[in-house]
Amino acid sequence: MYEVRFHGRGGQGAVMAAQSLADAAFIEGNYAVAFPYFGAERRGAPVLAFARVDANKIYRKTQIYKPDYVIVLDDKLIDLINVAEGLSKDGMAILNSTKKPEEIQLENEVRTATVDATTIALDVLGVPITNSVMLGAFAKATGLVKIESIEKGIMDIFGARIGERIAKKNAKAARTAYERTAIGTCKGGRIFKKEKKWLPTYKELPLGLATRAMKTDAGLVGPGSFVENKTGSWRTFKPIIDKEKCIECLFCWFYCPEGCISRTSNGLKIDYDYCKGCGICANECPANAIEMVR
Amino acid sequence: MMRMVTGNYAVAYGALLSRVDLIAAYPITPQTFIVEHASEFVNDGLLDAEFMRVESEHSAMSACVAASATGVRAFTATASQGLALMHEVLFIAGAGHLPIVMPVVNRTVASPIGIWAEHNDTMPQRDTGWMQVYCEDNQEVLDMVIQAYKIAENKKVLLPIMVNLDAFILSHTVEPVNFPEQSKVDKFLPRYKPEHVHLSPDDPMTVGSFAPPEYIQEVRYQTEESMLNAKKVIQEVNDEFAKMFGRNYHGMVEEYRTEGADAILVTIGTVTSTAREVIDEYRAKGKKVGLVKLRFFRPFPIEQFIDIAKRTKAIGVYDRSISFGSGGPSFIEVKSAIYGHTSIPMINFLAGLGGRDVMSDDIELMLDKTLEAAKTGKVEKDVVWIGTRGVTP
Ligand code: SF4
Ligand code: SF4
Repeated sequence: MYEVRFHGRGGQGAVMAAQSLADAAFIEGNYAVAFPYFGAERRGAPVLAFARVDANKIYRKTQIYKPDYVIVLDDKLIDLINVAEGLSKDGMAILNSTKKPEEIQLENEVRTATVDATTIALDVLGVPITNSVMLGAFAKATGLVKIESIEKGIMDIFGARIGERIAKKNAKAARTAYERTAIGTCKGGRIFKKEKKWLPTYKELPLGLATRAMKTDAGLVGPGSFVENKTGSWRTFKPIIDKEKCIECLFCWFYCPEGCISRTSNGLKIDYDYCKGCGICANECPANAIEMVR
Repeated sequence: MMRMVTGNYAVAYGALLSRVDLIAAYPITPQTFIVEHASEFVNDGLLDAEFMRVESEHSAMSACVAASATGVRAFTATASQGLALMHEVLFIAGAGHLPIVMPVVNRTVASPIGIWAEHNDTMPQRDTGWMQVYCEDNQEVLDMVIQAYKIAENKKVLLPIMVNLDAFILSHTVEPVNFPEQSKVDKFLPRYKPEHVHLSPDDPMTVGSFAPPEYIQEVRYQTEESMLNAKKVIQEVNDEFAKMFGRNYHGMVEEYRTEGADAILVTIGTVTSTAREVIDEYRAKGKKVGLVKLRFFRPFPIEQFIDIAKRTKAIGVYDRSISFGSGGPSFIEVKSAIYGHTSIPMINFLAGLGGRDVMSDDIELMLDKTLEAAKTGKVEKDVVWIGTRGVTP
């Protein structure tokens, strides 16, 4: 049996990637499962998905803590979280990165594959969604599944969800990544601050979870705690407002899911600490005054 | 002061004496008069409360949840389908530790549509984090509304509670009820001053938020601990009430003539009263039978039943509802409570479903069968349907 953990962000399709990989393995005669872990998800938040493959029926129903492979869909995640946590010594990290494997530093020295998935996705699909791309890289880096099976898996899973035309493009993106993936070994020794979690006993936990603003080991909880959660780090594209074109209709202010647009005496202002780059504002602007810049 | 009142009036007057701050209720037979009386009290200036007319029971409970979360004393009442409609919001009040008091006039849940007494409205709500007490007469109804607030608001408990009364048999029956003086009730039940949840712009809180699995199991344990704490608090409140008002309900269960009983019948709700008479007749004939009135269903009086089971030879349990495919809820609970402590035979009696009258004859049959089991140490049938055409009891 081998176990794969996918790291991505809400909207990047980590779940569909895990499903497509499982489907590809199934096509080759294996038993395979794929499943998500959903937290307080929304577009842009870090998410996990998992896949398990074996020759026989799989009974284990837990999440994966000691993966054989990790696949990271978002290039910025490796600087924020320890994506290699629990990764087996003989395992492999498959990363979306413009760097060569040797230039990457993770917790331990492990076999590493890299591919500039964001660029491939933008070229082939026109959007920075890297799930299918990373599957091509996985096929190349591990040899565990044939690229043809990956393409078939993508056609099955993506085809059913978003239609055959776009599924084909995704299969092509996977194939492109397959051809461009670099394989090597990363540097080890990177120290990650252990993510602190607030894990109170039932007695310490506010009764019924009615929570006043308070400081915990893991930061603020309760009303106003979001000031610490800077969603700006999620951003690939940055919205820029052209003041000349803006008619101050406030559509963008209304639609921004993060509430980070405000009106000032000097026109509209975006708080880039919290802007996650979703592009909704640009999409809604009737004056075409917002451009999304990488 | 003694007055001739219905169970519904007793409920409404209990709310008045408890000085509730918010009433949000939707009328449903046979609870309607509770809402009417309460609205009159507010209209006539007898009760200084906000009376909220809502569009459904779901909204009534939602309003109570919100009001209670601002730290005021919230009140509603319902029955049957109305309670079923509240179901999802009941969990929010339970896990949210909101000490709402809700009398429920126990009425059969459709289908078929019926308006008479059955406990299949409240029994399915047993896992929502609400305490439940079942009453026998109108005096107990009034007294328990007052006691309910005191139990619910206790800092070691902080859980909502249902005060249950059988449709028509109590809700629409007039009988003499002693009305306690307001000043005495005020002394017994001071104003509610919550610290754990108190929504106010001056003291912001997050209430009812999202929580990942890292927290929810602890929240569940909090409810469980409160339920377990309630067992002691129920007894303390009972005793304090008895001292102040001279009426003692004996806490979670009341034992009636159980000394040296070979067979004990457990009853819930109003059937208890008729059963008292039959027990007296049997005792007069020298038959060793006793009665246990099951008052609190949540928390369940596990320790009390272990003790009772050790003192008798057979237990019969009467239920006014059934968990299909298993048995009556009280039977299931009593059986599970005494498991491992004794191996005496137990029988479940189902009667009075849909509001059919439970007669003295029916109770005699229950006692005879339990006595027989006490003698032989065996039971023929675990679950006995009484008075069901085509079914041999
Ligand atoms: S939607 Fe466009 S035009 Fe309207 S306020 Fe925003 S930037 Fe200006
Ligand atoms: S400012 Fe625009 S891109 Fe940024 S979060 Fe708001 S809607 Fe999304």
